[in-house]
Amino acid sequence: MTTLSISATPTNAECRSILADGRLLTITASRRPRANRADVKCTVLGAPAIAERMQEVVRLARHTEVRFDSRDQVVLSMDIVPATTDRDWELAAVLADRIVRGVFQPATAAPSASTPVAAQAQGSSDAWHLGRVNGIVNDLRISHLGALTGHADPSSSVSTVRAWFPLHSGGINDTLGWVEVSVFPIESDAAPIDQSANATHVAAGVIEEDTIAAPGLDLSAQQEVRLTLAGARHFDGKALGRWRSVVRFGQPRFQGGSYQLALVMADRLARGREFVPRGRIIATGCSSAWHAGRVDTVEGREPKLELILKQVNAGDRVLLPKAWQDELPPGFATELRQKGASLACIDRIGMI
Amino acid sequence: MRFFNRRRKPATDISGLGVSLIALRLDEGDVAPAQGTVVIFNAAGHARRVAAGRVSCEQGETVFCFHPGPYTVDLIPFASAPEWGLRLRFVIDAANPRVTQQRFDLFLYSEAAERLELAGFGAAVEAALQMELAQGALDLPPCTSLEEWHAFRAGLNQLMYTRYGVVVDDCVPVDLGEQIDFAQILKARAQQAAEAESLADADAAATATATAAIPTANATAAATFSATAPRSAEPSAAVAPVPADIHTLSGAPSAPSTVPPPGRSPSVRGPQSAAQQDAHALRRLFIELPALSTELRSLTLPNGLPIFQQHQALLLRLGMASLNVNTMPALAWAAPEVPLEPQEQLRRSRDTLTALAALDEAWSLLARLHLASHQHWPMLLEEADRICANLETGLSLRRAPHVPRTEPSL
Repeated sequence: MTTLSISATPTNAECRSILADGRLLTITASRRPRANRADVKCTVLGAPAIAERMQEVVRLARHTEVRFDSRDQVVLSMDIVPATTDRDWELAAVLADRIVRGVFQPATAAPSASTPVAAQAQGSSDAWHLGRVNGIVNDLRISHLGALTGHADPSSSVSTVRAWFPLHSGGINDTLGWVEVSVFPIESDAAPIDQSANATHVAAGVIEEDTIAAPGLDLSAQQEVRLTLAGARHFDGKALGRWRSVVRFGQPRFQGGSYQLALVMADRLARGREFVPRGRIIATGCSSAWHAGRVDTVEGREPKLELILKQVNAGDRVLLPKAWQDELPPGFATELRQKGASLACIDRIGMI
Repeated sequence: MRFFNRRRKPATDISGLGVSLIALRLDEGDVAPAQGTVVIFNAAGHARRVAAGRVSCEQGETVFCFHPGPYTVDLIPFASAPEWGLRLRFVIDAANPRVTQQRFDLFLYSEAAERLELAGFGAAVEAALQMELAQGALDLPPCTSLEEWHAFRAGLNQLMYTRYGVVVDDCVPVDLGEQIDFAQILKARAQQAAEAESLADADAAATATATAAIPTANATAAATFSATAPRSAEPSAAVAPVPADIHTLSGAPSAPSTVPPPGRSPSVRGPQSAAQQDAHALRRLFIELPALSTELRSLTLPNGLPIFQQHQALLLRLGMASLNVNTMPALAWAAPEVPLEPQEQLRRSRDTLTALAALDEAWSLLARLHLASHQHWPMLLEEADRICANLETGLSLRRAPHVPRTEPSL
């Protein structure tokens, strides 16, 4: 039986935004029983037009949510009045509305900090009802509300998916890093198919690595990314010679290959060939034989598990190497499940 | 006299029954094929199944004929992963003697139009499945383990039986890469975006002079549009660009021209008008709410007073909602001899669709309650509370001729 957990929903939430003139705006949302009142109520002292705009934005953005709940009224307020031309607070209003209803949980900035840092967001949109937004949430640049959990924009012609992996750097600075894969179809579709019809695997493998770019990485890391993706696509069977890909990392300076599983999963999701998790994918694992779909173990089990347990949110999917299964701390899986996440220890990618 | 009537009526087209056609409506005098089963609904909606053959019914009775199958349909569980699917094979079972009303008969009576095509049915099932997965009622995560797959299968089987009355025979994950090309879909999206942009430019040039209140008009139109596809969110936004019929069994996977352009679809109506949608939704609520209450009443409850009380309260609320539906005022009238503006009629029919979405969620909740172990009941009853609240909100707004006074924002 699956569990749907909207756990420990707060009654108040805050989201900050830096205005164009440099002031810090705080949008506070609170939740109370609806009791036949309007679903969203906005108050901004002395600026009814901005309050009206805020209500409109929040209502439109709610159309991109799956779960409709008419039981609560959300009251939003601003502490200072932004200029009428400034629209970058819109994303903060949407996020405050989501946090207070438990739809979105902001990541804690530093896992060692005891109190969660208030989310900070800048961004605006002309198509809130489609979830499109051009904004930044806590240093994470998003083009779509679903990108908060790494999902692809369903109306964009470039499929971009993020996956997260634990970055171990001596305890206090451990964070979840992300890797982002964007794929778009190769335009000249006739030529590569004809060309590689005879010698698909030999020729396409070479071509494949040239279509993968990883800007910002040093050369050896780029090479590793290309080999990993080409190998995993070879395993997939229907992936070679169709895509032009760009790989980006949130933090390009790191060592080790434990990001590989996250990279491969993001790639499979971006190409529309994997089941989609409700939340983020958090994965760690590498392989010496991606072309066979194998997942090998990686180092740093204890700190990574600890970090994952701290950072995981409802709906997230945690993927670990099979070798870790017997060495998980007692209660780890149960605790993850209580937080609404699910766990799998795998020795190969793909269906079951 | 009957003789002449019969001669004049063209024979009903029953080709494809059992393959691409699940059920169809027959009239007096038609001959049902031998493998089919005939269901006759009397004027009060009570069904009786009779053997196939020449249909004879009385005045006011509705006759359906269905083929038990098996049928195979490909489903895409996640709109954003169109190359990874599930192949579902299902049958329509013989009547279960332990229940007074077969769920499939209820489905036929309440939802089927003249013909129940396999493709349309598959699309409905797919939408329901995507909704369940997005809400977390079913789980099909990447790298599914065997236990997770079994849990998913159990939930899916129960959902299909509780919601549609069909029995899942087999369900396997399939690679749909042969029929669906995600790269083509992305290319089609890029093309549409370009077209929409050029159209928007043309529009902007044309209407540059008439500047009156364009942003608000756009916003309300957008709100209307997304409210018509009721509350289905990221998947809904996801459903829009991916052609819904791209995976039907007809084997015509490339239908990018049918995709509504994302930017400018507010004027796109479904095949039905608002009034028809409203009537259809109210009919479904009228027929299905009592049946749903009956099923909920017959569940085996875990021990304990709090759950019993919540269950009783739930049944009471559903009963009240049912009464609310039975006495619903007409769509087009604000009061006797006072017609309602078309704008308000649209608003009313949207609110009916909210209630209808709650009804669908209630059926899937019933499926989950069938499978739930005792410690899951409180959580599911909380979900039931939400669904009832949505149902009541939708119905009360449907009843009101005008939107009630909203609070001032200051």
